[in-house]
Amino acid sequence: MRRTLLIYVALCLGGSMAGSAQDLRVPASVTAGDEAAISTTGSGKATLYLLGPGVARKTDVNLGEEIHLQAQDLRNAGDYLALVCSDTCHSGTFYVTASKPASLAFLVHPSRVPVGRGDALSGVAFPFDQFRNLVLTPATINFQLTAGDKSLFSRPVRTQNGAAWFRTASGKSAGVVQVTASVDDVSARRAVQQVASEPCNLRITGQRIPIGILVQTEPVHDCAGNVVPDGTIVTFSAAEANGKSTVDAPVKQGIARAQIEASGTTVISVASGVVMGNELRIGAKQ
Amino acid sequence: MKMSGIIKSAVCFRFAVRQVGTFALICGLVLSSYAADSALQIQLDTKKASPRAVESLTERGILRDYRFAWTSMSQALELSTLDPLEGPFAGEAKRVLRDTVVSQQHSGLSQQYVNQNHRVEAVFYSPEGDVMELHDTAEYELRISDGGKIIHDEKVVMHFVVLMTPGADRWVIRQLQAVPQS
Repeated sequence: MRRTLLIYVALCLGGSMAGSAQDLRVPASVTAGDEAAISTTGSGKATLYLLGPGVARKTDVNLGEEIHLQAQDLRNAGDYLALVCSDTCHSGTFYVTASKPASLAFLVHPSRVPVGRGDALSGVAFPFDQFRNLVLTPATINFQLTAGDKSLFSRPVRTQNGAAWFRTASGKSAGVVQVTASVDDVSARRAVQQVASEPCNLRITGQRIPIGILVQTEPVHDCAGNVVPDGTIVTFSAAEANGKSTVDAPVKQGIARAQIEASGTTVISVASGVVMGNELRIGAKQ
Repeated sequence: MKMSGIIKSAVCFRFAVRQVGTFALICGLVLSSYAADSALQIQLDTKKASPRAVESLTERGILRDYRFAWTSMSQALELSTLDPLEGPFAGEAKRVLRDTVVSQQHSGLSQQYVNQNHRVEAVFYSPEGDVMELHDTAEYELRISDGGKIIHDEKVVMHFVVLMTPGADRWVIRQLQAVPQS
């Protein structure tokens, strides 16, 4: 509910002449979007200048009457200067402060993160009021990470200078994680895709075929058991008596396959990233 | 032939006058910009910034872009023109400043920030480096003019809370909010 702030001062100078000496009293502080009033003393016509964030206007006023400041002129938080000029100018300053949080600016990084990484996820939230003023009054922001119905992380953080932040490890399971920041009945939600980490326990099998050797991995998982994403590169290396060859193959539906041209006894090894797998020895072509 | 020569001379003369005029205008703008900028002192302290430390290259960028933003804002409010706001401001800060300038254009008021001295402290730098909060204690002489006549001249000390974010090639101000001294 908008309220009018009324501030009165004792009349220190009387007089009926137009624009006689005046004084003015401004509100101590105003909440953004509220109405306010400036009291003046004296009599006659004068000009009111109101300067603040988003406003620089002048209007004719009658000294001795209360000057009504409309809510739309006081929507932006910051300092306001009121000048009342007749034969001389008198000034007063007051601050408009943000009202209660109505929205949250919420930044979360990264949007895609491998599972099981320490301090891999972070988020920053700034509360703003309905007029997009930064709310500097301390407020408690609840940060939550959820995967489906399962809560992975929850932490209330008090804003300092309008900012609250968190940092945490990524979860154990691949999939979408909802990251939520909320204050009172206001919340902002972001999604982070958790993906499998580096492959773990790479194992390959192989068999000779008419045109060489067909090798393939067993389903490639990370150490937490998540299937690595399609496109993860697996490198097969084949060493035989007359040389060495290497082939890169992408994982498709959890498995990487490659065909190697080799006729003699061949030792095949596998690696993905920094992880090595087992070695396979295939006998010479009969 | 003679007539053609006279016309050519007139065209050349007009072209020359236009060139001189353009040159003078550019010189004027450059000098005006330099004059405004040279009177603007900024000290930036990033030691207390957390949770991320501010690297020296970032600090230099912030200093450069914050100075440019205040120079631009001063020009916009002094000349009641929107052009200087393009670039150094974004989001809410830009909207509020645009509203102020438009309001000045309607009322005939203008504001001058003279002899600016800013003591700026970085108090928050996000973990991923995508937003920085600055607290600025700014001292300057504020002159208010109505139709070119100064109606108010006062030395003021103001406190600002500023949010800056990195843009494509510079840091931009997204929030510039004056606050009472705590």
